[in-house]
Amino acid sequence: MLALIQKLLRLLLNGFKPLLAGFQPASLNPLRHLGSLTIFFFWIVLVSGIWLLIFFRTSVDGAYESVEYLTHSQWYLGGVMRSLHRYASDAAVITLLLHIVREFAFDHHRDKRWFSWITGIPLLWLVIPLGITGYWLVWDRLAQYVALATAELIDWLPIFTDSMARNFLSDDALSDRFFTLMAFLHLIGLPLFLVLGIWLHVFRINGPKINPPRLLMSGSLLAMLLLSLVFPALSQGKADLETVPQNIGLDWFYLAIYPLVDSWELAWVWALLAGISLLIFIAPWLPPRASRPVARVDLDNCNGCERCVADCPFGALTMMPRSDGKAYEAEAVVDADLCLSCGICVGACPTATPFRRRSELVPGIDLPGQPMAQLRETIIEASQHMQGQRRVLVFSCAWQKQANPGGASDTAVISLTCMAQLPPAFLDFILSRGHADGILLLGCGSDACTYRLGAEWTSLRLHRQRDPHLRQRVDSRRIAMAWEQPWSRYADPRTLLSVFRGSLEVQGASEPQTRPASVYLGGRAIAWGLFAAVVGLLSVWPRYQPIGVNEAMVSLSFSHAGERIQQCRQRSQAELDKLPPNMRKPADCPRERHPVSVVFQVDGEERYREVLSPSGFWNDGESTFYQRFPVMAGSRLLQIDMNDSGSPDEYHVHTQSLNLAPGEHVVVTFDRTQQEFRIQ
Amino acid sequence: MSLLQWKPAYSLAIPSVDLEHREMIAMINECHQRIEEDAKPETIERYLGEIYTGIGAHFALEESMMRRAAYAEYEAHKQDHEELLDQIRDMMDLYDQDIEAGRRELQEKLSDWFGRHFATFDARLHDQLG
Ligand code: HEM
Ligand code: SF4
Ligand code: SF4
Ligand SMILES: [Fe+2]
Ligand SMILES: [Fe+2]
Repeated sequence: MLALIQKLLRLLLNGFKPLLAGFQPASLNPLRHLGSLTIFFFWIVLVSGIWLLIFFRTSVDGAYESVEYLTHSQWYLGGVMRSLHRYASDAAVITLLLHIVREFAFDHHRDKRWFSWITGIPLLWLVIPLGITGYWLVWDRLAQYVALATAELIDWLPIFTDSMARNFLSDDALSDRFFTLMAFLHLIGLPLFLVLGIWLHVFRINGPKINPPRLLMSGSLLAMLLLSLVFPALSQGKADLETVPQNIGLDWFYLAIYPLVDSWELAWVWALLAGISLLIFIAPWLPPRASRPVARVDLDNCNGCERCVADCPFGALTMMPRSDGKAYEAEAVVDADLCLSCGICVGACPTATPFRRRSELVPGIDLPGQPMAQLRETIIEASQHMQGQRRVLVFSCAWQKQANPGGASDTAVISLTCMAQLPPAFLDFILSRGHADGILLLGCGSDACTYRLGAEWTSLRLHRQRDPHLRQRVDSRRIAMAWEQPWSRYADPRTLLSVFRGSLEVQGASEPQTRPASVYLGGRAIAWGLFAAVVGLLSVWPRYQPIGVNEAMVSLSFSHAGERIQQCRQRSQAELDKLPPNMRKPADCPRERHPVSVVFQVDGEERYREVLSPSGFWNDGESTFYQRFPVMAGSRLLQIDMNDSGSPDEYHVHTQSLNLAPGEHVVVTFDRTQQEFRIQ
Repeated sequence: MSLLQWKPAYSLAIPSVDLEHREMIAMINECHQRIEEDAKPETIERYLGEIYTGIGAHFALEESMMRRAAYAEYEAHKQDHEELLDQIRDMMDLYDQDIEAGRRELQEKLSDWFGRHFATFDARLHDQLG
């Protein structure tokens, strides 16, 4: 089931490949740089945020005006910065979600790779609140809606006994204190944890891609700038707690769960959030899987050159002081908890050369499950079965099973765990010893390498840019890397094989063919334009209607302590004598209070009935009521009954007839000093 | 008579590099001697393959030390390493075709290269890293 979902997602993500490959080289495929693109968008957010901070005023009255000033009076700079701040945050959510989907689809979250996955979850829980608090600070109609809904959501958690939502019901209740808290979270707290979290998320793997390629950076920055100029981010009217925000533009990237807060039981909303998080949390072990034997170091063949350490994509190798008494300084050591048995380290080890004949072919580091000596035998044997003028030896990685083009007598296919498992000396060996006339490397490709860096290291080694490199003497035209130009144009391995075989005939064949620069540029512009359009659109549309067009809203919000269950009683002398001396108080006052029950009716129709126990450990605190209801506009009779003494005929009753305008907001409170209800 | 001779002057005061230098010289001498005695192509192929691997690994170690120390002459030094590896690799193919020519190459070029590389490039390492 999960495997099927993964396969579908892979098909989908790979489906973009030919499309994107049409206007840019595979290395610029944005799907390959989702993590680093997310970081780049955060950079834009940070820089624009600093500009906003300079002009922002942290108070209920100042906030909205200061943002309006930036947006309108200073549109050319402050307005652009504000729009960049919003749109880059939205774009980061897109790349972040795609990042998760992609790592999941390609199995990068499994088993020993759990660390990056698990440390990703807190990032998700930081980014979304970061966006929410950001919308809050503007203090417009959207902020008002977000503030109330968030407060309700948080009030559900049994953390605070007091109601937080109460702060956002009327302008008198609203205080700057809350603003300062939000500003602290948004400007310092959450970003700080986010930076620490991202560092934790990537520090364990080897050479994480922190910056996307320059062209992707300039493309995304331009797209965001353009969007900011064409479609500037605007506030939605100053917050007004006397009315209910209606028909608001919701930023679906950050606020998608809010409609659920309005229409579901809060317990279900929390259950949904917790459920999703839990599912993500256990995903690396769904289902549990056996791991293959990990790489093993052979000290007799290891001189501590560190090449394997440099190439291991997962930081599974470290150099440690020599343990065998030889004159070398260091030796490579494998961490079995991190090693994925990809063999990339073997491909990097200088002693993994097939030319060794006198001693056994035991490299400094090797995979017990697929040793180099055996690979050499497999190659020699395969070559003996091949006939013809243009024999092609195909290496296919385990992830390209479907790509087996074999069958014919002039082709042999050998399966590797990863292309980078093959040391370049093997290619020299195969071609110079006539074991084949051409070599086709059918790896999963640099934009989807299962082992992160396998395709990249292979490309660099074969282009002689990274050690161990392919020696100059080897005719590289006889080697095809399926994921590189011009071969990457042939999606079907069979076609690729026959084109490659054809190219072996002609002497200087297979000149890489590239498209003219203008095609690339045009295509890129269209792609970024589309991206910007999606960002701009979903940041305000579809619009959201928290309550019906003809409805008003009534909120119940008050705390009230029920009466004590027992009256105080004088202790008799006999009773006092029994107590320890320090507890001999003459009056015995049990602290427990009655539960408070409330019934609320509109035009005689019951809308709410609740009995709440007192809060506090001794059941001696207040009962806190909070609820809001949409009510049809027009002339309405509201009635509230409250019983706090347990006896059926002692009610606080309050009835009031109101003429409610659509979108109006009234609050039912209880005045403690007068001991009566108020409707404002 | 052996082809190469280890000299105290070759010592770099880096234990691992000195060890490998000695091992390399011993291996080349042994190979040379075998070829003089019994120049069967298989024997030569086996020895040369071993030398090629051993020297390749030695260079990898030396280069990693130089990189770590941000050694200024890294590029030139590495270039000299690559030249030798190319020569040995060529020799391996040459022996396949023409044993006599291969033998001459081994005697002249290898001893030549080692004498020069030890005296110049590796000696400078001594001053910098040793
Ligand atoms: C603020 C949000 C995030 C940022 C900036 C971010 C960034 C990155 C970066 C830069 C990499 C390294 C890519 C590479 O060089 O191969 C990475 C890898 C990864 N991330 Fe994220 N990430 C974020 C959130 C997440 C989340 C929420 C998850 C999943 C729940 C996740 C799962 C992974 C996984 C599985 C890897 C791959 C590790 C491997 O290849 O073994 N990330 N991320
Ligand atoms: S097999 Fe792969 S993961 Fe394991 S040590 Fe080697 S390179 Fe690292
Ligand atoms: S690459 Fe080989 S020789 Fe070098 S440290 Fe790793 S195992 Fe040892
Ligand atoms: Fe040396
Ligand atoms: Fe050297």
